[in-house]
Amino acid sequence: MKRFGLMTTSALALAMMATGALADVKFGALYPFSGQLALLGEESARGLEIAVDEINAAGGVQGEKVVLERGDAVDNNQAIGEARRLISVAAVKAIFGSYSSARSIAASQVAELAGVPYFELGAVADEVTSRDFKYLFRTNPTADHMGKLIVDMIVNKVAPGIGKDPKDLKIGIIHEDSSYGTSVAGHQERYGKEAGLNIVTTQGYPAATVDMSSIVLDLKQREVDVVLQTSYQNDSVLFLQQANEAGYKPAAIIGGGGGYSMIPTAEAVGKDVIEGVLDADFTQYAVNTEFTPGLEAFVEAYKAKYGSEPRSGHSLNNYVGAMAILKAIDKAGSFEPDAIVEAVAGIDIPQGETAAGYGVQFGAGNQNERASMMGMQWQDGKLVTVYPDAAAAADMRFAN
Amino acid sequence: METFLQVVANGLMLGGLFAIISIGLTLIFGIIKVVNFAHGEFLMAGMFLTYLITTQLGLHPYASVVVVAPALFVLGAVTQKLLIQPLLSARDEHVQIFATVGLSTAMINLALLIFGADIANTPSSGLRSSIQLGPVRILEGQLYILICAALLVVGLEFFLRRTQTGRAIRAVAQNRAAAQLMGINVNWIYVLSFGIGAACVGLASSLVAPLYPTSSTIGTYFVLTAFVVVVLGGLGSIPGAFVGAIIIGLLDSLAGFYIGSDLREAVVFGVFLVILILKPSGLFGTRLKLSHIS
Amino acid sequence: MTFTKTLPASRGLPLAAMGVVALLAALFLIPVVIGDEFVYHIFITICLFAGLSTAWNIVGGYAGQLSLGHAMFYGIGGYAGVILMNMGISPWLGMFVGAGVAALVAVVVSYPCFRLQGPFFALATIAFLEVFRVLALHFRGLTGGAMGLMIQLKLGWEWMVFRERLPALIIAFGLMLVCLAVAHLIRSHRLGFYLVATRERESAARAAGVQTVKVRLIAVAVSAALAAMLGTFHAMYLTFIEPAAMFSLSFSIQIAMFALIGGIGTIYGPLLGAALLVPVTEFARGMLGAEALGLHGFVYGVVLVLAVLFMPNGIMGALQRFTARRTGGEEQAVQAGPVVAAARTAESPEERPAIGREVMRVENLDKHFGGLHVTNNVSFSLREGEILGLIGPNGAGKTTVFNMISGFLQPDSGSVSVLDREGRFQNPVTPGDFAALGVGRTFQIVQPFAAMTVEENIMVGAFYRHHDVNDAREAARETAHRMGLAPWLNAEARGLTIGGLKRLEVARVMAMEPRILLLDEVMAGINQTDVRRAIDLMLSIRDTGVSIIAIEHVMQAVMSLSDRVIVLNSGEIVAEGKPHDVVRDPDVIEAYLGKDFAHAQY
Repeated sequence: MKRFGLMTTSALALAMMATGALADVKFGALYPFSGQLALLGEESARGLEIAVDEINAAGGVQGEKVVLERGDAVDNNQAIGEARRLISVAAVKAIFGSYSSARSIAASQVAELAGVPYFELGAVADEVTSRDFKYLFRTNPTADHMGKLIVDMIVNKVAPGIGKDPKDLKIGIIHEDSSYGTSVAGHQERYGKEAGLNIVTTQGYPAATVDMSSIVLDLKQREVDVVLQTSYQNDSVLFLQQANEAGYKPAAIIGGGGGYSMIPTAEAVGKDVIEGVLDADFTQYAVNTEFTPGLEAFVEAYKAKYGSEPRSGHSLNNYVGAMAILKAIDKAGSFEPDAIVEAVAGIDIPQGETAAGYGVQFGAGNQNERASMMGMQWQDGKLVTVYPDAAAAADMRFAN
Repeated sequence: METFLQVVANGLMLGGLFAIISIGLTLIFGIIKVVNFAHGEFLMAGMFLTYLITTQLGLHPYASVVVVAPALFVLGAVTQKLLIQPLLSARDEHVQIFATVGLSTAMINLALLIFGADIANTPSSGLRSSIQLGPVRILEGQLYILICAALLVVGLEFFLRRTQTGRAIRAVAQNRAAAQLMGINVNWIYVLSFGIGAACVGLASSLVAPLYPTSSTIGTYFVLTAFVVVVLGGLGSIPGAFVGAIIIGLLDSLAGFYIGSDLREAVVFGVFLVILILKPSGLFGTRLKLSHIS
Repeated sequence: MTFTKTLPASRGLPLAAMGVVALLAALFLIPVVIGDEFVYHIFITICLFAGLSTAWNIVGGYAGQLSLGHAMFYGIGGYAGVILMNMGISPWLGMFVGAGVAALVAVVVSYPCFRLQGPFFALATIAFLEVFRVLALHFRGLTGGAMGLMIQLKLGWEWMVFRERLPALIIAFGLMLVCLAVAHLIRSHRLGFYLVATRERESAARAAGVQTVKVRLIAVAVSAALAAMLGTFHAMYLTFIEPAAMFSLSFSIQIAMFALIGGIGTIYGPLLGAALLVPVTEFARGMLGAEALGLHGFVYGVVLVLAVLFMPNGIMGALQRFTARRTGGEEQAVQAGPVVAAARTAESPEERPAIGREVMRVENLDKHFGGLHVTNNVSFSLREGEILGLIGPNGAGKTTVFNMISGFLQPDSGSVSVLDREGRFQNPVTPGDFAALGVGRTFQIVQPFAAMTVEENIMVGAFYRHHDVNDAREAARETAHRMGLAPWLNAEARGLTIGGLKRLEVARVMAMEPRILLLDEVMAGINQTDVRRAIDLMLSIRDTGVSIIAIEHVMQAVMSLSDRVIVLNSGEIVAEGKPHDVVRDPDVIEAYLGKDFAHAQY
């Protein structure tokens, strides 16, 4: 038994040496692949995989083929464990991740202490980049961007569309009470106040709720014109259905990511009900593609590899971030952490030149300063980009 | 005033929902004295089954009950036979609780394996249309749930009090050893009771599925509330569960509106704790006997 | 050494002790030798869970209170550590602050819950956990709300945050050792015996003078404090905490599960459970997690179900069975050995001390159960060195009287006074008060601590007089010898015959060295020889100056033992006097045999 073990180990070592000879470079892909967050974790990882395929097809990074080692960050403790494994056992040169903010915060700390670059492509909490880490970079827009975009959209588009002064609108903010909803709601309040909006109520609720009728009633009674909801899928469906059934029809409903961007949500509530509902999220697919070069190619690659349309914008955003980072690493000269950091810090991609539309340049806390979200609207059963104008594939519609 | 009435109506409807889900739990709880932590997953399984039947065969969700309820009966009976029965003689309840916790984990993940993490939408077949009743508006489907819950309570009470089998079940629930001496096959009664309890959940799932999106974790949303309802109503009391459910529904709705939706859980669990500590037998429960002293 | 106590049925257990030491050494040395970060992480996780499960086991195992809310204390520790650290206070201090807060919360939360049995207690702990989670979400100023809290990355021992992994392992390992040591200390001392006794039979424990609520509160406080300390460490290790992760139900279940799989109520079970399951879980996740969504969780659930079904007593239980089988032959021989008739024969009548002053005075006791008048104006007294027989037909209210003169029932009116050692009459209320005054009782339906050995059963009584384990053990052995239980000292109580159990019941009370002994039908259902022996035994007890009230149906015993007899019928005293006078009393005959029979006598 022992001898057998020894033999397998040496065989394994041989095999590893053999693959090593093919000049591979290993990066970690740390996402929640099991558990509650698995669906969008997997979706996010696909974006990274497509980016890697594309880079490898074009000759790899610094002439070496990129190999991804998956790590499953199912909970915070596990995120730390998997980060450790990737760094010490798999000896990855950098880690890409992680969809979930909590996992990202936990795992990036391990990478920072180990001096291994960590590239966050999808987590939205501000805390990820508020720690002044040296080896952590984030390419994707954050909760802050989402809050800002929604407020901008109200001021610039929604209020004129309804035919009211933004200051006369009654705004109601509702959000699921985990980290995601709470932080987005916080930014909505902050930017809303700066813009002089009249926010009449802010309410949190557990995402695992089975009834939102009291919230609907409350909003109805306060005569809220614009409802901002930051939510997951179940609660998006519940709110839209229960608002509709209670006969509550605000002038605009603006969702924040999560449930609002997903086709099953639209199917669950019905196309009539979701018609006209607005949504702020990562760049999605029905967009003015002149603003997002490479988007169509990405969708094609996705379909070829996974046999279906992308399930959400997460894959696209992970793809865009990964492409920018991998191209920079290609020019780094070596895989030493400091060389990688230097190369990545020097990235300068202007707006409108990536498949997600936003550019890439890192600022304070190594957050991508050019990242931004987009405003979308459900029109005739499809989620269409309507804001900002440069990216809009259609005009925003209003019920009246 | 109108708003208040609407809040109350919403609470009643929510209460009906909690009731239909909790009745099976209290039945099992009361007779076998086992807390089935997998109860929510039974509901989840029933809802997926309803979803499959309605989408694949194009049946009305309510029609699927003729398949779902018997299927859940079998699931419950098998659970009792293979999982709970061998553990009934165990030294403490710990093992029984963990057995059902394990079952719950396995079922959630099996659903994830089969159906993925996406939500599954059972066609609502018009049950989501609202009815105006005076000043308040409610959903057709919710009203049916409330009515069915009430009918189920009456039906089960009739069954337990007026039929031979029902009396045997009650005898076993009250005194296992004595019932055994009377020649009642206790193990069979347990299997039957668990099956009936699970079949009630089957009925609930066919009623609930058209109104709520089904997912692998849907059971966990309901199960804790169901426990609260069962304890509030009194261990094993079926009318108690109904009244308890209505109370919790009203409480949930009123607290959500007047206190704040982020604290409604705290309010519900707070009330639960107060009841549990002050009157552990619940509103309709029989007094716990201090049999071990004399 | 005392490890053997958890495996009473087996011998030669230095082997097991060595196993534990080897396991502990391996837990520390394997990661150090391999030196790999990931291996470090796994072993730190093992230490964390082993520590948490061991702490949980003090409540869930020893005290038998199934808590599914232990993450509450872990979370409190975590938050205390992080909040204080961000105020510039070292987590080493924060750890104890958290432990203190957790212990306080545990006491406040548990006190009302102890009335709840089995699943209700579990549900209550879940509800408290949920309330804590919601509150942590709500009070953002303190906890950071849903967004959680991060620590500043200040490195070094002072801040418990390290770049290298060895220090974290040292801390986790050290904390785990602390948990094991505390668990070991508790289990091998009086508190542990009291906890297990309370778990097995609460009323019998109270009769033995155990303050059952107090010992349980101590247990939850200690358990919560330990869990909180581990929480502080883990928060520093994670560097980031949020309510969803710190107050998680599934985390609580996991803690309890490791103990269950390892062996609930044993000292090293939780350690074994964690050491085995954590690596298995990691590998299963690695092997299955990426394959298909949910497959890993499914396998995990199925394994849990199978483990519960086929190993309900956990790994320790299985090991115990294994070792028991190995030494089984020897055990048999001991069990089958000649029963030593150890009870001394009654000493000669002349040596019997004279009946002395009143030691217990019962006045006008009344008790109603609903509409039923179960005790009606009952008064009597008991003298020093006297044996008072209490007889009467079934349902006469004898046991109710017993319950009232031992504190288990409060009379509606009337009083019970007991002479204390200073010669003053006191009015005790609780079973503890009665025990303190030297009143010991047995139960009609025997109430052994089934999972304990005979020796341990008697020790629970002996602890009333002896704080020290060895003294208590010595006293217990001596008592066992006197009661003829010596051959079964190491047998589990559940294995005794009914006669043995009755003797054990008396032995446990005798070990408390009572001045007044209340015996409830100790001779019912035992054979003739045993009755004879029991009579001798009671006489010898009396001769040491102990006063006895005995409820008895065996007339032979009543007649030959009692100095005085009280006859109770329908809650009233119908006759009182010398045994031979009383049995001729027509009222008594009527009470026992009915009116017709009484008339026929005349």
